Amino acid sequence: MKKKKCIAMLLAGGQGSRLGRLTTNIAKPAVSFGGKYRIVDFGLSNCANSGIDTVGILVQYKPLVLNKYVGTGESWDLAVEDGGVHILPPYAGEKGGEWYEGTADAIYHNIDFIDMYDPENVLILSGDHIYKMDYNLMLQEHLKKNADLTVSVIEVPWEEASRFGIMSTDDKDRITKFSEKPKKPDSNLASMGIYIFKWKALRKALLEDHDAENTSHDFGKDLIPKMLAEKKKLFVYRFEGYWRDVGTVKSYYDSQMDLMDNVENINVFSGDMKVLSNSNMYPPQFIGPDANVKDSLICNGCTVYGSVKHSIVGSGAVIGKGAVVEDSIVLPNAIVGRNCVIKNTIVNEGAVTEDNLTIGGADEEISVYGRAKLSI
Amino acid sequence: MKTIGLISANYISKMFGELLDNRSLASLPYGGRYRLIDFALSNMANSGITTVGVISPYDSGSLIDHIGVGAPWGLDRKNGGLFVMPGSAYGLQSAGSRFLLRDILKNRIFIDRDDADYVIMEGSTDVWNIDFRPLIEQHSKSDNPVTMVYKKVPRGEDYSGYFLDIDENGMVKDITSEGHAWSNYFADCFIIDREYLSEFIDSFETLEYMDMVQIIKNNPGAIDIDTYEFKGYLGKIKNPTDFLKVSQAMTDYDFRNEIFCNPERPIYTKAQDEAPVFHLPDADVRNSVVSAGCTIEGRVENSIIFRSVNIAKGAVVKNSIIMMHGDIGEGAVIDNVIADKYVTISDGVKIYGGDREPVVLGKNKTL
Repeated sequence: MKKKKCIAMLLAGGQGSRLGRLTTNIAKPAVSFGGKYRIVDFGLSNCANSGIDTVGILVQYKPLVLNKYVGTGESWDLAVEDGGVHILPPYAGEKGGEWYEGTADAIYHNIDFIDMYDPENVLILSGDHIYKMDYNLMLQEHLKKNADLTVSVIEVPWEEASRFGIMSTDDKDRITKFSEKPKKPDSNLASMGIYIFKWKALRKALLEDHDAENTSHDFGKDLIPKMLAEKKKLFVYRFEGYWRDVGTVKSYYDSQMDLMDNVENINVFSGDMKVLSNSNMYPPQFIGPDANVKDSLICNGCTVYGSVKHSIVGSGAVIGKGAVVEDSIVLPNAIVGRNCVIKNTIVNEGAVTEDNLTIGGADEEISVYGRAKLSI
Repeated sequence: MKTIGLISANYISKMFGELLDNRSLASLPYGGRYRLIDFALSNMANSGITTVGVISPYDSGSLIDHIGVGAPWGLDRKNGGLFVMPGSAYGLQSAGSRFLLRDILKNRIFIDRDDADYVIMEGSTDVWNIDFRPLIEQHSKSDNPVTMVYKKVPRGEDYSGYFLDIDENGMVKDITSEGHAWSNYFADCFIIDREYLSEFIDSFETLEYMDMVQIIKNNPGAIDIDTYEFKGYLGKIKNPTDFLKVSQAMTDYDFRNEIFCNPERPIYTKAQDEAPVFHLPDADVRNSVVSAGCTIEGRVENSIIFRSVNIAKGAVVKNSIIMMHGDIGEGAVIDNVIADKYVTISDGVKIYGGDREPVVLGKNKTL
């Protein structure tokens, strides 16, 4: 087998409970995004666009849609010999089975998997971030500095720094301190939850962390502070560009609206670092004779008879006659009934609204309507 | 009752002008994201047929690029799968060629090495969604070696081709080129016993320049032919006017439901991966089909817009087909136009065709 310079491990097991009804029966990385995508598309596309052809996807919470969606990774050109996409659920050993207890623990349980590829470096990714990034540039810096760990960081406004994991650095970008949500931050470099480790260093740290007491087996809370304390070589990689953690309904809504309102921030229309997806085989959209669609993103498979303004309508969704959809996101295969008025609302995947329903108002907070009815 | 499929994509027609300059009719883009051969291949796939031969046309580039190894139709298989085979009619121009005997003789190994009971022969240029399983079922119960598929159609110029004269037992009495008031229009499709097909091509080898259906037509009574009526939609595309009409049928609810929205029988095509359509604040799209990757700022009516087309502010597109990567400039007006891939209509240019005679703009054209 060819020796791998770097493989990726994508953490996709979390419940994402702050997304409420959106993740009732689906893992967060598999939640629909921007009409035709799913959140995990961004991480997988970044891997494909960075030349990383081996990706382990750590799943745990309700992975059925995610498993089917990712499949062999073919949609992201990742179905390759000597690599490819691997779905990695918790599994049983001689002494029974264990759930993944934290981000680092999930990787710990897959040490054998990583050893099979015997890579020099391992890239740790979160499956729930919206961004375009060439990991190869980060890897180059990591190699150049001979770092044990490189953490990708983004400058955040000082007033928001206390919401993030903040890295303090010296003048050579070596990490001197890591503070999780500091009250009085002394840096505004926020960790993006994207790490490149030397596999040897990570392997050792994982084994030690596993046996340690008082650890939550988390990269941010435990592994990084431990390696910092051991005076390992930890550096930051400064990422400039659009990056969003879509952890809340508000941020999930806002970053989707950015797809059309701020195309220059996150451009899914450009062929540069193209965002790939496993889109189903839908016919093109049909816009009816009395429809009125303005300032909106509409996907294949949609049928629109009503009015859609400043909204996103996902694959296969139907907007009934006389319906008005404004400032809303209708997820794939949802059906908005006739004469409904929907504002500031996310209509869940496959949800069906009755005719003549009014949901949400212009001044109301974004809410999620309906329970997802998922099909594969 | 193992059945294999043989699709003839070796269709040539002079009726389409520049649209078929570098492609076969089978690979003519249709309906925003499809090619005509998608219907033939999807019908096979949806009927559980997993060994399918495609006889390729002389200009096979676009067809082969489109069907690849058959993955969208589940035909990239170890056991069976897709066989793209050479056509024999090198450069031959004949509008009537469907199941040219020479094409089948040249590729007879496809028929001889398989152990299937039946072969379904299907054309590649019709828009239809048929389940072949009832046809196979009916044929398997009949003693006749051939069952031809037909559709009852009203007399009209839209249906040129072969018509079946059927007796009271449902057997073909005669095949004609003329239809009567209500006629049994041959749907470019039949099922034949595989071993019989092998014998047939042997015994008529001297007529290899002829079409199989023509040979059958010229030998009335020589072969016992059963019939099977297809009651669904059958879109024949024989010229640009047909093409515009059958394309605009996509704006019809019943048509979309039957052809594209049957969950048991989806129409598969090569997967592209384009962003959603961006309807800008000034866009005004009515009664139209729009494929992914388009950016629309102008007006679109009764039209079929393929992927990655830009329609600028103030532009008006009516009753037209704009294929992939078209670019319609500001204030341009086009009506009854079929624009091939990469056609650019500059700002303010106005082009009007007639509904019986659409204007055809060839690939890469800038006006």
